[in-house]
Amino acid sequence: MTFQIWFLPVLLLASATLLAFPLSRYMARIMNGEYKPLKIFAWFENRLDSGQQNWKQYVGSLLIFNIALFIFGFIVLALQEWMPLNPLHRPMIAPSAIFNSVISFMTNTNLQHYSGDQHFSNFSQIFFDISNMFMSAAIGLCALTAIIRALRSDSHLGNFFLDMWRVLIYMFIPVAFVVSVIFITQGSPMTLESVYQVTGLESNQQSIITGPVAAVESIKMLGTNGGGFFGMNSAHPYENPTALSNYFNTLSMMLFPFALVLMFGRMLKKMRHAYVIFSVMIFLMAGTYVWSIVFDTYSPNPAFTSNSIARTYDVQSASSPDGKRLVTLPAVAGLPVDQHLGNLEGKEMRFGTSAGATYAATTVDVTCGAVNAEHDSLNPLAALSPMVGMWLNCVFGGKGVGMINMLLYIIIGIFIAGMMVGRTPEYLGKKIGAKEVKLAVIALLIHPLMILLPTGIFAATDWGMKAVSNPGPHGLSQMFYQFSSASANNGSAFDGLGVTYGAYNNPNPAPEAAAWDIATGIVMLISRFLPIIAPVAMAAFLGRKKTSPYSLGTLRTDTTTFAFLLLGTILIVGALLFLPIAVLGPLAEHLGPIPFGG
Amino acid sequence: MSKIISKSFLLLLFAVVICCVIFPLVLLVVGQVFFPFQANGSIVNGPDGKPVGSLLISQPFTKDEYFQPRPSAAGFNGTASSSSALAASNYALRNRVASTLGPIVRYADGAKAGQLVAHDIESWFHQDIFQGAGHIVSQWAGNHPSLAQAWVSTDSLHTAYVADWAKVHADLVAKFVKDNPNTPQPAPTDLATTFFQSFSNGNPGKFLSVMTDTGANHKTVLVIKPVNTGSDIQSIFFDMWRQDHPNVNLQDIPGDLVTTSASGLDPHITMQNANYQLDRVSSKWAADLKRSPVEVRNEVEDILEKNSFAPLAGLAGEKMVNVLQVNLDLRNHFGKPQ
Repeated sequence: MTFQIWFLPVLLLASATLLAFPLSRYMARIMNGEYKPLKIFAWFENRLDSGQQNWKQYVGSLLIFNIALFIFGFIVLALQEWMPLNPLHRPMIAPSAIFNSVISFMTNTNLQHYSGDQHFSNFSQIFFDISNMFMSAAIGLCALTAIIRALRSDSHLGNFFLDMWRVLIYMFIPVAFVVSVIFITQGSPMTLESVYQVTGLESNQQSIITGPVAAVESIKMLGTNGGGFFGMNSAHPYENPTALSNYFNTLSMMLFPFALVLMFGRMLKKMRHAYVIFSVMIFLMAGTYVWSIVFDTYSPNPAFTSNSIARTYDVQSASSPDGKRLVTLPAVAGLPVDQHLGNLEGKEMRFGTSAGATYAATTVDVTCGAVNAEHDSLNPLAALSPMVGMWLNCVFGGKGVGMINMLLYIIIGIFIAGMMVGRTPEYLGKKIGAKEVKLAVIALLIHPLMILLPTGIFAATDWGMKAVSNPGPHGLSQMFYQFSSASANNGSAFDGLGVTYGAYNNPNPAPEAAAWDIATGIVMLISRFLPIIAPVAMAAFLGRKKTSPYSLGTLRTDTTTFAFLLLGTILIVGALLFLPIAVLGPLAEHLGPIPFGG
Repeated sequence: MSKIISKSFLLLLFAVVICCVIFPLVLLVVGQVFFPFQANGSIVNGPDGKPVGSLLISQPFTKDEYFQPRPSAAGFNGTASSSSALAASNYALRNRVASTLGPIVRYADGAKAGQLVAHDIESWFHQDIFQGAGHIVSQWAGNHPSLAQAWVSTDSLHTAYVADWAKVHADLVAKFVKDNPNTPQPAPTDLATTFFQSFSNGNPGKFLSVMTDTGANHKTVLVIKPVNTGSDIQSIFFDMWRQDHPNVNLQDIPGDLVTTSASGLDPHITMQNANYQLDRVSSKWAADLKRSPVEVRNEVEDILEKNSFAPLAGLAGEKMVNVLQVNLDLRNHFGKPQ
């Protein structure tokens, strides 16, 4: 039992780490342009290459390309009704949901305020999902590449369009093809049909949605996109048919984020520094694994367990005459449920005992957002693991963006350490000035601001209160999970939250869906692009500075000491910002009465 | 600037053609040529040669001759996968599981070891005393107003019954309006708790169930009647019975038998769950076929064993079976259930 629980997470961490070495070498070679393209590919590259760009031109190209992507995505979704491959005559989804989905997919978030199996045609799945999944992931990776080139003081940052081509053609397409074929062998459909009609053994009719699932699935995971073909994402048996497919599914989302950290080291020629960052990340990742497994796989669902002692609390209460109120949590008798496999509500059986908990932690650490279990039904404490992953947002992180966030923590950490010992802080031999620290702090503070501010607004209004589906602290958790997911560009969700409007003419949409569509849409936009633009600028400013010679007084960034400094900075700066909300949500749910109310 | 815009659209064009046309088309060919079974949804045929379902998508089974899948929050709807999304702290989760357990739970030890608890729930319900106070139904509706409301709204017969009751009990409705000035014209759902409290006072030890009745012209009609036995009472009031009997040892039910999966379409059950259902399934086949129960049981066990597998060859989890595959094998082996 113990072996069965720990085998999968250990295997995943080990295989992703091993694969990161050769993959990062390959990626560094491609991004450094040290390859000879085939003639036909060279033709495309010549068409796309618009020449060397400085940081403003690079970022400008990135933004303009995103606008093009936005327009394309909007048109595809808005015209769904009239497009081919739509035998079920799916109409357009609500305009606010289109706004949300287009931003969501363009920003690599893939928060889904719709259900693929209920609202999308196969045309939309192919031309909206697949196109955005390939490109949004490539955009993040290009941004990181630009930052690396700036940090190593290249005279130019390269060319955005050429970089995009390299990432798409030499990295994503070949790996995605292999992974897709693996998924097909395991049972993911690959067809242009939309629905199967079957008559069951007991003569009941069943319609089953199908489509080009395998093609979507591979890049969904590899690009850490996470937007499922079906509403229930990687928990759906067609997206994730077996335990083996689940292993590859999980591994796929770890593959590029792991390799990117080492690519960073290779391109800067600072491998030891990269190993330090890698160790900090893998330590944090293992931490989230252990946390979610201990509290979800080893712990039963507290809804069914007994609580044999009644507890009484003195609670301050403004409405009571003496200012106090006695609250009694009655003793609760357990239900006779065998829970030796842990919390099984919202879990699939075929993946393995700890697969749900492992996946929940992985998907937020690498900013993927696919789910193979229902996060809403995780045990209260276990749900902290995905939340913390999104709040830190630098444990490997998505395509490039996680590494960029880590870079911000490095700058802040070095700055704090420099202040403490009274030396000018330096990173890679470049003096960190006020300008760089300001940019880093802006990029870092956007994240908590974009989570806490809208959560506060929604919790105080009908927008939030009419959307939550669970009572008490868990309802609050549902709200801030949604905004955390939007701001971290993650895309996983507590699915009970009423955010789905459905078709534009749906007579009974979730009452506050449009408010959620618009609010999370704006959050995703800000939290995607500010933390890309500010760090590129910061790196460009750093890169322009003279490299000061290495001396005894330099704070070395390739030592164990630095690893602890970085870890401390992440935990203190990153986690403390969110401690109050963690207490109000999952911790309160865990310590409070279960069941909570009626 | 115009250069950047034109390059953006050029890149978009190249990328869409490669990623959205060539990439899926190549995969389509690979899938359809080399793995047609998997690429077409793992659809299997029944004894009559017609498609009977997908091995990967759970379908409902109700007959006792068949193994039953995990409960589905999606209602086994293959076009709308869904989880329950119920938090551990949400009473709806505990209530759903308790309702499933009530009719099937057995005593684990003592004089009644192995017997169903269901009958004792009914006689406890008949006493009409919970935690030392009277009127179980009234307490239930008071403690769990959302469940009482759900009972009213879940079935049009229920709603109509409460609406009729409201017409007769204008005094109680007036009192409700006085206590709740925000709902001047209460719908039947709003009156749920008031209704059950009034019902409980008038019908101690009884609950309401939908029954079939023979109408005036010998047609079968559905009517609501006060009852003091039946599966409704066993389900709805099991949790309260349990609170009154916290120290009685009950046999544990396999976790996956009462929990819903994430997709609502989980096609597997654990071997533990299958073994739990084995008695029911094999004795029903034995009765259908008028054969020796022991023999039939062995054959069903063989079918289970033949179909059992574990995630990653047992490295990552415990043994399980595919429900449709097992039931299909049962159907092919034993014939059509009666």
